[in-house]
Amino acid sequence: MINTPNFAGWRAIILAEEDSNIDRLRRQLMLLGVTATLQWLPLSIDDLPDLVVVDADRGWDELLPWPDGKPARPVVALLGSEAPGRIAWAIGCGASALIPKPVSVSTIYPALVLAVASHLQRSEADARVARLEERLRLRPVVFAAINRLKSERQIDDEEAYRLLRERAMDRRMPLEQLAALFVGGSNALKDVG
Amino acid sequence: MQDVTKIGILYSTTGPYGAMGRDGWAGAEFALHDWVAAGGTGIELEFVDAHANLSDYLVGARSLIRDRGCRNIVGTITSSARKEVIPLVEKHDGLLWYMCPYEGFEANENVIYLGGCPNQHLIPLLDHLVPRHGNRPYLLGANYVWGWEMNRLARELITKAGGQILGERYLPLEETAVERIIADIAEKRPSFILNNLIGPSSYAFLAALRRLGERDPAFLPENCPVASCDLTECELLDIEPGAAVGQLCALPYFDSLDHPGNRAFKARIQAWRPEFTHISSIFAGAYAAVTLCMNAIAVCGSDDPILLRRTLVSRAWPSVLGDIVIDKATHHSSLPFHLGRITADAGFDVIASRPAIAADPYLTGDRSRQAPFLRVVS
Repeated sequence: MINTPNFAGWRAIILAEEDSNIDRLRRQLMLLGVTATLQWLPLSIDDLPDLVVVDADRGWDELLPWPDGKPARPVVALLGSEAPGRIAWAIGCGASALIPKPVSVSTIYPALVLAVASHLQRSEADARVARLEERLRLRPVVFAAINRLKSERQIDDEEAYRLLRERAMDRRMPLEQLAALFVGGSNALKDVG
Repeated sequence: MQDVTKIGILYSTTGPYGAMGRDGWAGAEFALHDWVAAGGTGIELEFVDAHANLSDYLVGARSLIRDRGCRNIVGTITSSARKEVIPLVEKHDGLLWYMCPYEGFEANENVIYLGGCPNQHLIPLLDHLVPRHGNRPYLLGANYVWGWEMNRLARELITKAGGQILGERYLPLEETAVERIIADIAEKRPSFILNNLIGPSSYAFLAALRRLGERDPAFLPENCPVASCDLTECELLDIEPGAAVGQLCALPYFDSLDHPGNRAFKARIQAWRPEFTHISSIFAGAYAAVTLCMNAIAVCGSDDPILLRRTLVSRAWPSVLGDIVIDKATHHSSLPFHLGRITADAGFDVIASRPAIAADPYLTGDRSRQAPFLRVVS
């Protein structure tokens, strides 16, 4: 780990009710520089904190404003129960780290680091999947562009693909985008080739 | 003067599950009475009433352990209260004796579980109901881990067996507005209803469903029974007269169990306090827990939890619940399964039974744990 994880100046919302576990959690968060507020009402999508801690023993479905397993912020679950239904609920709200009850202060910092790192990994993976899905979606367009190049210029598959890729690099745009322009009737290839 | 060993008793005699707490309290008192009557000495009980307040359970358990010298505590009804007390008992290396049915997924070294987990109540209950009534139940539960987890498991079991859950609804413990649930049930017409509601909401539901059954016989208990794993004799008098008659409950003990041990047990209770006419599984469970604790202390000559644990798992202990065998790995007791049908005089007719089932709190399906020392070793 190159950078020491630091939560100073972060804002956290704890979705739970006041008790001795929450007291210990708040004290430790304060020590880590995190400003924590407590509420036992659904989280508003318009005012998201940097981090969410949620009581997974008692939480209900509308408590978090995002769809199942798609957290918009790192989520840490507070959990005393071993019931699979409660663990599943924590997974559903996007929790990627756990603070067991009764809260032992030594579990809090590692849980925050883990939740934030997992959230980052998840966001990066989601973005990569989205990019790949977009490219997959545009495959037929690339295929159509290659076919048109082949018949217009009497070249083979490989040559058509090479042409398309080189022009895309010249113009600093994804191959799929250039193919879409070409198929859409633009002179995208002519003016340079 | 002989040293006195103290056992803590921790229940709530008020609140939505106060009737159960009062029965637990009385069962513990009777266990000591019975012990002394049989010549036992050297044991005292220390009672704490937690008034259905979670933080009072913690304060009460702390006082029992630190100030009153109890290394063994019998008590708590709800899972949240049990979870509240366990860390303290662990810290002081005490033992908590828990004797209520619960949703499983726990096995703590510092707890002796005498109340049963789903493979001892819910699974045999569904085994009984599905072939007789069908595989399209409706699930109800208290808005709390007991209801959530029991219904989650029921959904898993029913769905895997090719059935279908027609509805699933939750109510807070004290919520009695059940009209929308009744309307939904009337429309969906389930095969049976699994009721994991607790206290007043459960009573209100049973009364409202009875009225639905009067309008449409398809919803009478013989056609669409309501079954639960936690409704005992001590609550039946709180339900509108007649409203629950014919409905079902799975428990390890019923007042009406007809065997010499139970007849003698009830006769001794009658001689002690004649007003105890309907003995619940809570009373019997607290009695069995305190009696087992006292017997184990007598055998060990100490209330040291390490010695008690070793002694407890080493043999079978005769009790009012049958022979108690405590598994070395899970600390759960084997328990018989009885299915009771509620009668007009606030009792149960036992309509099905199975001999003691070993507990499988994590539903691993491991059968090798069954009563190891009862196996024939050659």
